[in-house]
Amino acid sequence: MSVNSKPFQSRLGVSRRQVLKGLGAASSLPLIGGFAAPAFATGSDGRVVVIGGGFGGATAAKYLKRANPNLSVTLVEPARTFYTCPFSNLFLGGLREMSKIAHGYDELRDRYGVEVVHTMAQDIDPDGHSVSLANGDTLHYDKLVLSPGIDIRWNALEGYDEAAAELAPHAWKAGPQTELLKRQIEDMDDGGTFVLVAPENPFRCPPGPYERASMVAHYLAQHKPSSKVLILDAKDNFSKQGLFTGGWEQLYGDSIEWVGLSGDGRVTRVDAENLEVETEFGTVHRADVLNVVPPQKAGWIAERAGVTDASGWVPVKPESFESQQVADIYVVGDASVAAPMPKSGFCANAQAKVAAAAIVAALRGDSTPEPYWSNTCYSLIGPEYGISVAGVYRIQDGVIAEVEGSGGLSPSDASAEIRQMEAEYAVGWYNAICQDTWGTEA
Amino acid sequence: MPHPVHQLTLSRRRLLRTSAGGLLGLGLLGAAPGLLFSPTALASDAWQRLDAAQQVIGDATPESNGLSLDLPHVSEDGSAVALTVGVEADLDDDYVESIHLFASGNPNPEIAVFHLTPLAGKPEVSTRVRLNETQQVVAVARSAEGRVWATSREVRITVSGCLMRGDDVQESLSNPRVSVPDSFSAGRPGEFRTLITHPMETGLREGDDGETLPRHIIERFTVSVDGDTAFEAELHQSVSANPYLRFHLAPQASGEAVFEWHDDTGDSARETRELNVS
Repeated sequence: MSVNSKPFQSRLGVSRRQVLKGLGAASSLPLIGGFAAPAFATGSDGRVVVIGGGFGGATAAKYLKRANPNLSVTLVEPARTFYTCPFSNLFLGGLREMSKIAHGYDELRDRYGVEVVHTMAQDIDPDGHSVSLANGDTLHYDKLVLSPGIDIRWNALEGYDEAAAELAPHAWKAGPQTELLKRQIEDMDDGGTFVLVAPENPFRCPPGPYERASMVAHYLAQHKPSSKVLILDAKDNFSKQGLFTGGWEQLYGDSIEWVGLSGDGRVTRVDAENLEVETEFGTVHRADVLNVVPPQKAGWIAERAGVTDASGWVPVKPESFESQQVADIYVVGDASVAAPMPKSGFCANAQAKVAAAAIVAALRGDSTPEPYWSNTCYSLIGPEYGISVAGVYRIQDGVIAEVEGSGGLSPSDASAEIRQMEAEYAVGWYNAICQDTWGTEA
Repeated sequence: MPHPVHQLTLSRRRLLRTSAGGLLGLGLLGAAPGLLFSPTALASDAWQRLDAAQQVIGDATPESNGLSLDLPHVSEDGSAVALTVGVEADLDDDYVESIHLFASGNPNPEIAVFHLTPLAGKPEVSTRVRLNETQQVVAVARSAEGRVWATSREVRITVSGCLMRGDDVQESLSNPRVSVPDSFSAGRPGEFRTLITHPMETGLREGDDGETLPRHIIERFTVSVDGDTAFEAELHQSVSANPYLRFHLAPQASGEAVFEWHDDTGDSARETRELNVS
């Protein structure tokens, strides 16, 4: 998926640096200061359990320990290796191996003193402040951080259930689904059609479907040049739309076709067995490879915790990302309702730092520091063609709002040199955010 | 070394200025999203504070139960917010005659009026609306025998930084699309969907040359079955570009359904479908 964020490279021009200096996301919080040598957990200052080891959870665990090494911090994550959605589209495009989007937890454990437990969290008892685990253990917490990412709303799109996903992968969680989709693309005959079904808002990684279409088109142009990419969209507008369509035309001619909501692009039925989809007004499209990005909701453990609302997502207090519904449970990343911040890895990372700072302050009896956040979503249209959108956010009148005049889009008329630089920045961003989150290099 | 940041900023400003999005068209530019309506306002009051809604309600005391209004709490694209309104009250021989929708925070609060008939079967309509800021959306419904319902929902509008977009030129009244059920049981409601290409230009937006673009909208949509009006919609500027309508009809006998869209330049589009009632 698309690459979402840019730490603060010096190659960026003055004005962005100024913005960041004034408003530096979570980076203005004291957490980022010097690294404290791990005085391994005594737990005397409080117990924090973090569920989910992605961008949000791993960052929260690390920054909690950095801020206060005397906290006991336990990270619950079933996988020993985490594959990032950012840059997983590059794997589909043949630009990167899966091993280069894989991250582990050694650094969190060995350097920061986070206790990492590789099992599933099965249930949460908010009144008893405890988490029950699939391995039979129960963890007690003073504060709980949930970073559960997304789950698929199976059957919300008629015909799209777990069995269908084995035939028509979503690949919206990086891992086996991504590898399945890659195999299907490689097995497709030249002249075939790759159909991507894009959902309505909100969903994980707003530019992701369009970066994916780009990366698949890149692969096809090299290996199966008579093939087509068709995007059927439940929206009329999408992230970085003009930049994507301009880039597609430039790099792939007419081999990528996008059909929006008003053009009858909304898919209402999936027939995975026959690789067919039907739209709202009855058009049937046949695919050779069918990639369905389905409707989504907060990861299921959030429902168990009672923090989701009727939308399936988690309303949070913006200053701390504590649940609006359940005390002492903080929810960061894609599961939370943080709009206008997008559901991106960068946002999860920034929100996790805010939650960590709020938790550290609360356990000390201090007031919650006032947060700022920033986000950049990079997307690759080709190996040397990068685009981005950036935003800076703060709280206004009790809700998260984009700071007026902050951020912006890549220019629509940029030179090839700038597109190439942005593709390089994307790699720099990826390396830096993974270093910040897991302490690992891919 | 070029300074991409500077260009990024300029580019965004340019994009905002020229964007065709309904948000900007409605005059949002310059206002931060999400701040213009007090979040403490009571949802139950919104229809009382809106003159346009009061005119529909008149002297009646509206019922609050039985009218549902379904909108997302938060929308990341105010140019097309999905909305469903429906009357679920027990009606016996009475039927819902009209449903009125208002966007209390838009420059022109009227969104649409739907005129229903006994053929409606199920008084429920979906469409997509423009909301130029966080605000209360109000629905009022009236029955043939004079019952009145009113309700409202707050919708928070945010424009995600990842969702900025560009212009799109559309040809008016092209591509009319209609979806009707393959067959009906007599008197049982079936779902109809229609979609047509039209800019629904608000008359409040500047074009590239700085001149205000004239208002250009579809004002009326009608459905008749064998010559009898079955469903009618009056549309205003707050209906999204490329108007989408989903509604229900319960024909008693097979016949021809005629769908017509009329815009404010006198142009129209027409589609027909055979309805098969068994």
